Amino acid sequence: MVVDGFFITGVVICLVSALICIVAAVIRQPPNDITILAVAAVELFLLVYGVAAIFRQLGGEPVAGEAWEFWGYWITAILVPVAAFWWSMLERSRWSNLVLGAVGLTIAVMLVRMEQIWDMAGTAL
Amino acid sequence: MKAKLGTMSSTSPAGRKPDQGQAGRAAGIERRASGPGRLIIAVYGIFAVSATARAVYQIATKFSEAPVAYLLSAFAAAVYILAAVALAKKGLRWYWISVAAISVELLGVLVVGLLSVFDAALLPDDTVWSGFGKGYGYVPLLLPLLGLWWLWRHRPGRTEMR
Repeated sequence: MVVDGFFITGVVICLVSALICIVAAVIRQPPNDITILAVAAVELFLLVYGVAAIFRQLGGEPVAGEAWEFWGYWITAILVPVAAFWWSMLERSRWSNLVLGAVGLTIAVMLVRMEQIWDMAGTAL
Repeated sequence: MKAKLGTMSSTSPAGRKPDQGQAGRAAGIERRASGPGRLIIAVYGIFAVSATARAVYQIATKFSEAPVAYLLSAFAAAVYILAAVALAKKGLRWYWISVAAISVELLGVLVVGLLSVFDAALLPDDTVWSGFGKGYGYVPLLLPLLGLWWLWRHRPGRTEMR
């Protein structure tokens, strides 16, 4: 299996979240419930992904790459939405929505790397 | 001052001017952490974290394979951390530290970019700055240009420069 459902779901959530935040910035909105929930959705996905990954590994599903590298990415990833939320709340301008939008894009890239570590799908690159 | 001659229409633009004039200029360097500056700092923060993680990984697992490249990764990581912190901090000293850090970053991405094209043997493995940052969507090349432009826009007034 080269691409799994978790990966697709995660990337879609990230990109939709980033799109919502970027549109909000373009129409000159400060961070509001919608953009904060969009970032919270990314965080929620990461938590579910992490818990699922624990069970997948306990269930015997092998990690193709280094497991500690996967978890290093995951721990960093769960901190990103929290840090961006904190940073955007210090100054609630439209630009802070772009900070929130950067979360989705960053996490999407990190999910690609995590997927590569899990399945080694990217070794051909 | 000019507002007193004016009609209603001339007072409103004149009334706005003091904000952007002397008082605004004094606070100009402080505003570099505001508005678009917050996004710039956030991107520096992302690069600080990812470059640090990458350097730690490279040095911890395979340092002997390409020591020059991996030490360069660590140096790049330190520059990103310093730039992110210096941009966010208040005060003239931090302003100039941010100018220095971002200038070093620009120099680094240009020199390493050229080296990776002309003398690939020196840097056998990738760093953030290899190929002018193409592994990171050329953001490492654009970011220092954006950063320096942003700092130029928020430069201290001439009197403060002395």
